[in-house]
Amino acid sequence: MSVLVTGSNGFLGAALIERLMARGETREVRAMVRAGSDRRRLDAGAARYPGRPLRVVEGSLASAAAAARVLEGAQVVHHLAASLRGAAADMFLNTVVTSKNLLEAATRSKSPPRMVLVSSFSVYGVADLPRGAVVDEETPFEAAPERRDLYAQVKVRQERLFRDYHAQHGVPLVVVRPGVIYGPGGSGLSVRVGLRMPGVFLHFGGSNVLPLTYVDNCAEALCVAADRAGGDARTINVVDDDLPTASAYLARYRGEVERLRSVRVPYPVTMAMSALVERYHHWSKGQLPAIFTPYKSATAWKGNRFDNARLKALGWRQIVPTEDGLARTFADLAARR
Amino acid sequence: MTLKVAIVGCGKIADGHVEQIREMPDMARVIAACDLELLMAEQLAARYGIPAHYDDFERLLAVEKPDVVHITTPPGSHLALTTRALEAGCHVYVEKPLTPTLAETRTLVERAQAAGRRLTVGYTYLFDPPALAMRELIAAGEIGEPVHVESFYGYDLAGQFGSALLADANHWVHRLPGRLLHNNIDHLFNKMVEFIDDERPALLAQGFVRRTARFGDARDDMHDELRVMVSGAKVTAYGTFSAHVRPAPHFCRVYGTKNTVTVDYLARTVLLEGTSQLPSAIGRLVPAFERAGRFAGQGMKNLAKFARADFHFFAGLSHLIRAYYRSILDGGPPPIPYRDMVAVAAMMEEVFTQIGATAAPPRPPP
Repeated sequence: MSVLVTGSNGFLGAALIERLMARGETREVRAMVRAGSDRRRLDAGAARYPGRPLRVVEGSLASAAAAARVLEGAQVVHHLAASLRGAAADMFLNTVVTSKNLLEAATRSKSPPRMVLVSSFSVYGVADLPRGAVVDEETPFEAAPERRDLYAQVKVRQERLFRDYHAQHGVPLVVVRPGVIYGPGGSGLSVRVGLRMPGVFLHFGGSNVLPLTYVDNCAEALCVAADRAGGDARTINVVDDDLPTASAYLARYRGEVERLRSVRVPYPVTMAMSALVERYHHWSKGQLPAIFTPYKSATAWKGNRFDNARLKALGWRQIVPTEDGLARTFADLAARR
Repeated sequence: MTLKVAIVGCGKIADGHVEQIREMPDMARVIAACDLELLMAEQLAARYGIPAHYDDFERLLAVEKPDVVHITTPPGSHLALTTRALEAGCHVYVEKPLTPTLAETRTLVERAQAAGRRLTVGYTYLFDPPALAMRELIAAGEIGEPVHVESFYGYDLAGQFGSALLADANHWVHRLPGRLLHNNIDHLFNKMVEFIDDERPALLAQGFVRRTARFGDARDDMHDELRVMVSGAKVTAYGTFSAHVRPAPHFCRVYGTKNTVTVDYLARTVLLEGTSQLPSAIGRLVPAFERAGRFAGQGMKNLAKFARADFHFFAGLSHLIRAYYRSILDGGPPPIPYRDMVAVAAMMEEVFTQIGATAAPPRPPP
């Protein structure tokens, strides 16, 4: 089987390439990178598996024709390439339009490959759920993406696009929705823990359980989903077991990585502050951006639990225990400081 | 009457246009967005609640019948889109650079005049509040006669625009004759042209590439530094574009026979410097305090504006759009003289000829 990975030099992408090589079940692993991009992560991973069937393909998803060249002969495509930050137009262009090009190319191929889309927990409409509600794959999709941050808007549109192509053109599809992916080389403090302000860290997450997935566990989940979830557009949450709360995570981060001055902001205060920021944004005609609104804050800090029963039912097992994952991550973060 | 506005080209800069227009409901409303890629038109419409979106400009013109079209597409399409909009009876706001060549700029201006419709171009910094204040000082005779202008525009290639064009060898910027410079140095020249009356002033330009080559394609030889000297009969000017100086400056300084005025577009200050009248060492001691006092005064003014919610990032864009719409509604002259648009295009073309800048050849997709 020939497996193509887009976004292969990213944080998750490089781990997935390693995982595919470690599993050794694939005839050919193709890692797509854009010309001129930083390949250090990918190269470091490849060096650990000499002799394995890895092929680095320089290509682009900037048009359907370019995507078709990348796609040629692939039976499974793990689509990870996405824009994590930047201007809105660039994020849509580099995530949604590139996805359309990939899907167009797939519909034109004689035998469309199975698409494994890496979506996100941010596509769930959790703002109106009660605190502590469990989010599983049946939880409704976000109905008001324009009220969310740009990343959520882009991922919602991307997933809808994949589902449309599955429904209308029969492109085989698995949708994988990971939580917060962490690990060595990743970032230390997710927005679900809080936000770094000049001189102080605002800790909004409190006693919420952090929906973490260690990068290798997430990569393993992608392999399992590609092998066993079929192509009928099933959704699969990816989150590890034995997860810490945001406050426990922060305490450990402060002890092992960085002496950070932090202030814990209780949820009702967060919501009141968010309402003020939103009102100021409107009153001042956008003089300062509405980085907090009650809707956005509810999605990030209201506190949900995420269910991984469906992933386990496919046979996924957590290959790196959370305790080990955290230890490795904090050691790496401390070393990089 | 409120003007019906359509946005064509839904890239980054379109956001700024829509955000400003929707803060002037007394004058205008955005009725439609258009992009060759329907998903891009859709995202702009979804984020700002624009009622209609299209991937076909002809259909937009026929169905929506806009009064004004804002063209925020890459420059290669400006002439054709503007021409169609003018034929459909629209006024047109075109993002800078107006067109890729001087000849196209002349044609575009002639067509707007022939159609009896108003044209403007996105020289927004000319309408930043301190730039407007500078023009008032000059009009009031505060600097005397202008002698020399210094215009400096710093650029960060690691920023949103810079990284987008470095990441993509087929980015439209590489198709412009002056490439990176082409998309930026109208910000140098549009501040000079109002002081230099000459039809074709003498111009001397040197361009440099300071980056280390890393792509192995045409991106590597894109100029990222430029020095220009412009000599009019009465007024001279220096222009500097730099992608390497930090912090990236953005200022314009006009030296006059009486005083000198400096606008800092990043700090939003306008500083008038005079000759000290105080004797001996005192004359060297006091000016620093005088300047500190003037900066503090500017800071307080800006703070007061901030408190009144009148201190926005895109203030220049907002002032320009308002002035432009007012010229349409009241029948006054357009906010930027057509002569200045042609003069800027002429200087840019001369620069690209002298430094040997050419568009990168289209690169076959990988």
